[in-house]
Amino acid sequence: MTADHRFVLVGDNSFHGISHLSQEKARTRGEGVLDPGNAAGLVQLALENGAEGFMFSVSPTTLAILRATRRRPSGSSMDLYPIVPYAYEYVSKSTRSGGITGMAKSFMAETLRSWNIAAIWKSAAGVLTTSPPDLLEAYVRYEVSRVRSAAGGGAAMRSMLLHEVVTDMALALDLKWVFEAHLKCSRRLKMSAGFETRNFSSLVNKLRDWQMPMEGLTIAAPFNSVGFLMTPSKEECERALAHARGATVIAMSVLAAGYLKLPEAVEYVSGLPHLSGVVAGISNESQAVETFGSLSKRFRPPKTERV
Amino acid sequence: MANDIRAAVIGLGKMGLLHASTLGAMGGVKVVALCEKSRFLTRFARKAVPSVTVVEEVSQLAGKGLDVVFVTTPIPSHTPIVRQLYLEGIASNVFSEKTLSSNHSDSLELCSLAERASGVTMVGYQRRFGVTFAKARELLHEGSIGEAESFEAHAFSSDFAGVEGGDMLTGRGGVLRDLGSHAIDMALWFFGDLTPVRSTAPSPSSSVPTLPMTFGARTAGGLEGEIKASWSVKGYRMAEIGISVKGSRGMVSASDDMVVLTSADGATKRFYRQDLHDDVPFLLGGPEYFRQDAEMIRCLREGTSPEDSFLSASRVDGIIDAAESFLK
Repeated sequence: MTADHRFVLVGDNSFHGISHLSQEKARTRGEGVLDPGNAAGLVQLALENGAEGFMFSVSPTTLAILRATRRRPSGSSMDLYPIVPYAYEYVSKSTRSGGITGMAKSFMAETLRSWNIAAIWKSAAGVLTTSPPDLLEAYVRYEVSRVRSAAGGGAAMRSMLLHEVVTDMALALDLKWVFEAHLKCSRRLKMSAGFETRNFSSLVNKLRDWQMPMEGLTIAAPFNSVGFLMTPSKEECERALAHARGATVIAMSVLAAGYLKLPEAVEYVSGLPHLSGVVAGISNESQAVETFGSLSKRFRPPKTERV
Repeated sequence: MANDIRAAVIGLGKMGLLHASTLGAMGGVKVVALCEKSRFLTRFARKAVPSVTVVEEVSQLAGKGLDVVFVTTPIPSHTPIVRQLYLEGIASNVFSEKTLSSNHSDSLELCSLAERASGVTMVGYQRRFGVTFAKARELLHEGSIGEAESFEAHAFSSDFAGVEGGDMLTGRGGVLRDLGSHAIDMALWFFGDLTPVRSTAPSPSSSVPTLPMTFGARTAGGLEGEIKASWSVKGYRMAEIGISVKGSRGMVSASDDMVVLTSADGATKRFYRQDLHDDVPFLLGGPEYFRQDAEMIRCLREGTSPEDSFLSASRVDGIIDAAESFLK
């Protein structure tokens, strides 16, 4: 039995110059894919070949891609799955601005500049009371406003996912409040609470221990036939999938960072019944056509075949 | 130690959060205290992690029954903090982020204090726990490239590419200490010993911190090589450490992502992390961090000493001091 509705998303790693196979590979791709206009063209091509939406880290680059995509015909109606924070940007800021305190000050200044009243209110409340849930909500509202402003009204934000660094730290330190606060905030914003993780099995087990409902959650985690980044093991993650029923589980790293050939990668994820979605990155036009053509055929079968 | 190991982490920057979380995810370890001098962060941490004691001063960690303390503050503060931990009897088992201190003489003082405390020590050279570097070292030691003839180790990042001036860099201890130390430690781990020598190629002055620094090095066996470090190389989105060894029958090169073995006839074999069983029980930051912290805890339980102890790390500081004296 497969998930009711299976979907395919285009990812943004190559647009940020990321290759998890090797930095050398990212360097040899050239600058073209880093240009937001070119990237928007690739996103559109992916949409034309079966992708239904875009999963991305919220950064100046991806916001520029959203603005460029909005001006294209199929871009206005896509689903959005933003991931926050863009860890690289925040680590860079922390490096250059004198640590986490400097970074927090810079975030406060940006929130004020955004004129997002709800985010400013929550930030002020969070700072005055040092309330972590208020600060988290302020941050999420700030990021939602940035994405909506760039994407326009036609795009639908299905879920805002907390980056794996936040999710996995919260998981490791048993911070149930992070999950509850994000769930509550997401409900208010009428979207699914999302969590990106590299510890899928631990996350599912912890959510069950806490008796938190899987329904309404979106979880993005690595799934690929060689078990790359599947912690603690491929088998454990596959077992945990069955316990995550009700959640929208999206497979990432399906090509094991470019290590696998497309047919093998597609075959594996298509055979995992409880997956709802797959996200794949692209760095050129032929990849956009091949990858999304293949995923659309195999992972997302015609509606009549769905159960 | 039959009970949970009680750990504290000093410094709530990115490395402090990483170690606190990694230890938190590890069975048999309990993070019981956090120490951070920023008022804002301590107020936040008290509410965010209510099960853990959060203090602003190192002295407030006394009497907490700590089995191990992780020091993750900026490099210049390592010596006073580690010294205080030993002198006030706060902990005898100490993990310090790299480098151990800001100079060789301070590092030797800390080694001596650690020896008197008879504790387990470790310094955060996590690349030793990376599967690619371990594979390259194995290939070298099993003779896959024949007799080693020369080597090159580098540490590059784009952190400050295009950034003018170096005011914000003073707290980082210079590029050799902050980043190059990983390449130096890797060369030490591969070859056992290393002495810096004046490089034939002139390197820019160390007084301009954003410029690359290069120096020559010789192993006890007479093998010669070069070590390079830079914060300002374009295309290194993440800091990358690399090492290449040329031998009589080929060459082996390793980076964080892969190992390339090239035979004398030019044939190459690549090993990616995906090929090298890079699995850990909990993944945060990179698998090497979990393995490193797990090794510290294993040594603590078994009363053994890790390879990357204070003593081993003090040699890195000695090499940096000597190299910087050439480059001044």
